[in-house]
Amino acid sequence: MSHLSRRDLLRASGAGLLALAAGGALAACDSASGGASGGDADTGTVTVWSWATAALALRGVVPAFEKDNPGIKVDVQDIGNPAIWDKITVGLAAGGQGLGDVLHIGCDYLPGYLEKFPGGLADLSAFGADAHRDKFAKGLWPVVTGKDGHAYALPWEANPLGFFYRKDCFDKAGIDPTTFATWDDLIAVADRFKAANPGISLLGINKAANPDPDLDFVQNLMQLQGAFYFDLQGKITLGSEPAARALTVLKRLDDTGLVADAPGAHGWADLMKTGKLAVAPMPSWAAHYLEAKFADQSGTWRLTKPPAVTPGGKRAALVNSTHLAVAASSPRRRAAWKFVEYALTRPASVNSMFTAGGVFPALTTAYADPMYAAPSAYYGGQSVLKTFADLATDGGDATNFTGDYARALKLASDAQTKVFLKGADPAAVLRDAAKQLAQQTGRTIA
Amino acid sequence: MTAVTTPVNTPAAPPGTPPAKARTRARRGPRWRRTALPYLLLAPALVTFGVFKAYPIVDSLLLSFTTGNGSAGHADGLANYRRLLDDPLFWTALRNTGEMLVVQVPLMLALALLMAVAINSALVRWRTVWRLGIFMPAVTGLVATGVMFSFLLRTEDGAVNRLLEAVGLPAVDWLGQPFWARMSVVLVLSWHYTGYNAVIYLAGLQSIPRELYEAAMVDGAGAVRRFTAITVPALRPLLLFTVVLSTIGTLQLFDEPYVLTGGGPDNATLTVSMYLYQNGFRYFDFGYASAIAYALTLLVSVLGAVQMRLMGERDR
Repeated sequence: MSHLSRRDLLRASGAGLLALAAGGALAACDSASGGASGGDADTGTVTVWSWATAALALRGVVPAFEKDNPGIKVDVQDIGNPAIWDKITVGLAAGGQGLGDVLHIGCDYLPGYLEKFPGGLADLSAFGADAHRDKFAKGLWPVVTGKDGHAYALPWEANPLGFFYRKDCFDKAGIDPTTFATWDDLIAVADRFKAANPGISLLGINKAANPDPDLDFVQNLMQLQGAFYFDLQGKITLGSEPAARALTVLKRLDDTGLVADAPGAHGWADLMKTGKLAVAPMPSWAAHYLEAKFADQSGTWRLTKPPAVTPGGKRAALVNSTHLAVAASSPRRRAAWKFVEYALTRPASVNSMFTAGGVFPALTTAYADPMYAAPSAYYGGQSVLKTFADLATDGGDATNFTGDYARALKLASDAQTKVFLKGADPAAVLRDAAKQLAQQTGRTIA
Repeated sequence: MTAVTTPVNTPAAPPGTPPAKARTRARRGPRWRRTALPYLLLAPALVTFGVFKAYPIVDSLLLSFTTGNGSAGHADGLANYRRLLDDPLFWTALRNTGEMLVVQVPLMLALALLMAVAINSALVRWRTVWRLGIFMPAVTGLVATGVMFSFLLRTEDGAVNRLLEAVGLPAVDWLGQPFWARMSVVLVLSWHYTGYNAVIYLAGLQSIPRELYEAAMVDGAGAVRRFTAITVPALRPLLLFTVVLSTIGTLQLFDEPYVLTGGGPDNATLTVSMYLYQNGFRYFDFGYASAIAYALTLLVSVLGAVQMRLMGERDR
């Protein structure tokens, strides 16, 4: 199951950030009580907060863990997404009251929690988390590291970007997408593709951003260049050169007439269902998602590495990630840490969770398991998981979502709409967006 | 009510009554009860008003002088208001709201007046059905309206575009183009509230004495003349009422763009209220959102006062 689908994630950002702010207001009232005063007991019942299939997957690890760690019981609770962001925020704001011991947190919330509630999450470096730093896909460690350089979570799920394409369509035009080195190579053969596939587009994007921003593609192109809306220090890079290059690639693709408009909440899925899209630049969760949702297109899709944005540039990016953290307020932080370490640093655990809940692991040593090499009939016998494992091993650059992601996303989306509707210059609209972001957030432009 | 709780006149103390002290003590209970009862009955309304209206109104004013949130929140004087003046999105929202106001309010009220006159005509049968028909949109839920119109206005296969094509007009990208998105909001807004205003006018029309029209007809006045010389002047208080109410309603416009366009494309249908909502509940910048709310309040009061003055003057 794709428990981290793009729509879910978008929806989650709204509701979760609400919680973040609501909790922030509470924190202001309660600041006198200060940080949480937990304890380091290594026995007792550890409560784990997660959601949906991920919670299900975590539960699968519990029996083995309890057997190996007598004295510790684990209770995995499915809080639900986005409800979990609300509950974590309120809990952190209340100085840890009512919070679970172990918390499942997405990459778009972790920086906000660390920023707004310093001391709310336990310092895992104190328990020796740093020993595991090189076991995870490159680019994830900075995400879990606080300003003090200590780790406050361990990576669990990582979603490397892939390039899914309709082999039948490209075959008709005599094009082999595995030979694309850059996106320019795709743009160069656009006319040939169009002639051979009338009525079929390469990408589908919600051009008017109604009802929600559709920025995944541009964000991915930025991430391929190691860039994002913010740099690792939290300064604004929305108006930077890599950002402009990303939006320019989309504009040039659109100029070929091969970017279809996907209006409304179901626009993209409707286009896919009717076979009108030939490329899906999507992360690892999509491997199962496409197969489940568009089953009748079995055998037509293939996966390859995403092309680079600049010649010789990177061809791997980590789109997003989720993590397990320990609440600083927990009276049994050591027991909680033991469970986190057991679940996330052993290939056997993460692979059983991948099988049970579809959570693509960040732990690179897990990819040696034969299941990654297994061929998939939907993808014409290709081992798509192997491709994603390779991409995750290559690793990406760290992405800093900060606590102001929602604002940045909206402004970037406005810029993209201007390019689509008015043919605006990508660099100019992004520079304006960066200026507005600075005005709204008080952050400086890098 | 008063007849029961307040005695009409207090009887004079009969001679030989016990000392005054005992008397007052004896009456204190009922009097306390008498004065407390109204307050007790008002209490639910007052408490609810206090908690859900007065407190947020005062608190949001205080909030509008703070910046940041979480433990970083602090008092910051007029910083939010200064930021508002320099915020291009706020001005965009204000301009959008103004443009929709200028087009929508006169259009809707003129339409409502015509509808009311038509239904009031002696020639029309089944008036109840018509009245029901025009009032129905006013009671239609927000989400139902949004879903219905997003289907009707679809570019590829929406009913509106089908209709346009049937009469030889080109299809319109209703929700994808800035200008047409604004027109879509105007359309939905008018659909929603025209009937409501028409019913108000209808009530006014029915209170105009028939003799006035008969006298005018005897004097040889035509239908148009009767409309401009009798109907419109007689309805003036109601016209003022609906103009002020519609203006305030449109200034606070939120529902229609929220369900239809999400404020887009490229902020073409972003209204002040939507921008307020985004800042408050998407970015959790409650201080700034509160400042926007007070700016809007100021605008509404000023515009309302100006309209009352301009249109109400002749009454004095």
